[in-house]
Amino acid sequence: MVDVSQHKLVPEHTKLDDEAVEDVLQEYNVEKTNLPKIKLKDPALPEDAEPGDVIKIVRNSRTTDKAVVYRLVIE
Amino acid sequence: MTEHDATADYEFVDDAIVDVVESKELSRRLKDRIYQTIEEREGVSFEQAGEIAQAVEARYLDTRVDPLDPVGTVSAQSIGEPGTQMTMNTFHYAGVAEIDVTQGLPRLIELVDARKPPDTPMMTVYLEDEYANNRELAHQVVWNIESTKILALGDISTNVADMVVQINLNDETLLERWPTYDDEGVVASEIAETIEDALGIKTRREGTLIEFGPESPSYRRLLQLVEELRDIVFKGIEEVSRVVIRKENNEDTDEEEFVLYTEGSAFGDALAIEGVDASRSTSNNIHEVHKQLGIEAAREAIIDETMNTLREQGLDDVNIRHLMLVADIMTNDGTIESIGRHGISGSKDSVLARAAFEVTVNHLLDAAIHGEEDDLDGVIENVIVGKPIAIGTGDVDLRMGSLDVEDADANAAPEPSDD
Repeated sequence: MVDVSQHKLVPEHTKLDDEAVEDVLQEYNVEKTNLPKIKLKDPALPEDAEPGDVIKIVRNSRTTDKAVVYRLVIE
Repeated sequence: MTEHDATADYEFVDDAIVDVVESKELSRRLKDRIYQTIEEREGVSFEQAGEIAQAVEARYLDTRVDPLDPVGTVSAQSIGEPGTQMTMNTFHYAGVAEIDVTQGLPRLIELVDARKPPDTPMMTVYLEDEYANNRELAHQVVWNIESTKILALGDISTNVADMVVQINLNDETLLERWPTYDDEGVVASEIAETIEDALGIKTRREGTLIEFGPESPSYRRLLQLVEELRDIVFKGIEEVSRVVIRKENNEDTDEEEFVLYTEGSAFGDALAIEGVDASRSTSNNIHEVHKQLGIEAAREAIIDETMNTLREQGLDDVNIRHLMLVADIMTNDGTIESIGRHGISGSKDSVLARAAFEVTVNHLLDAAIHGEEDDLDGVIENVIVGKPIAIGTGDVDLRMGSLDVEDADANAAPEPSDD
């Protein structure tokens, strides 16, 4: 099986713990469900991710150095 | 992160610095970054801290999108205007490495429509380590990717009198395409087996000569067998009809390497082949990228493909942010959604907005049947009913009057007069 995370198109995906999720939601003043989504079967997801988890994605941005975005894991 | 005392967390940050930083219109994260920077520099003077905070705030406010700025509309205009110029200069194909690829407006439409599969799927396959430098090894990968059919391996002759099909395989070609074998007879027997499995008939083999015919003499069946024989894939990926090998300069290592361009795409199969660099190879089929690498990679691929399409047409002055916004919207729900009736525009909340886009009567009829309501929040529905749209100054209510001097801050703007 190919290691997806090594591909240059795939940014780093990490699972956030509950406390960090709270901080993120508070910073942006949004609900969890307002976040962009990522499917559970997405090959780039960390293995232990479950629906309801928030994934932190650190992209190599085209307009700045790094761009951090969050996606909510859904079925 | 909640409010906390920065002076306690950072050794080189004192109350005066905290005061000046906290007074700036910055997000918590940026303020913390300023403290961290001061900490890393091992302390700066109060004036310097003020200047840093000032510069960060200025840059932040400068790059921030104005409140109520219609970013989507601006993006649509910014991509649409160059699009009108594309219509005039292309509606044909142009080759990259002798492979025909849809370009220009048709390609752009295909991308935002998320059409699958694309008109001209292709892959760019990079090779690993020694495969990238050694022509023979690179060719091994080519034979594993390019679909090999019978016509590439030898001559077929149909003997109608004896009701047999004869295949005269070319020895050299066999050994070239199956480099792991050193006897063409073994390869030929494997080919004979493949034919038997695919056509469900018996074959006779003598050296590299394979012969077979229909079970009972039938002219029609004989021709049918020849037709089917031509479509059998003996080696490689069925979807890939042709592979072009090119020597290119690797930008990272500044060395020459072999790169394969394929006509046809099967991204998942290609990544699994030995010698293929699974960290760089790509496909122009965004759905395959999504399936193999996930939604974030698909987003990157959409941006890359749209930007390249525009660049080929000399329209690269379109700001990348517009394409990023398009890609963000298309991948927002975790799958690739098209922009159009079946995707984004068709899933809008407003009945009137949907009706204004396409198939007006259907939308209005459905809405009437289901008793839908329209909150009139968006642009299109407010244009239709003739109300100001809730964008920019349209969402701000202005009222004229005088300030109550007692409540007003001493620094407030001069009191507006009523005349």
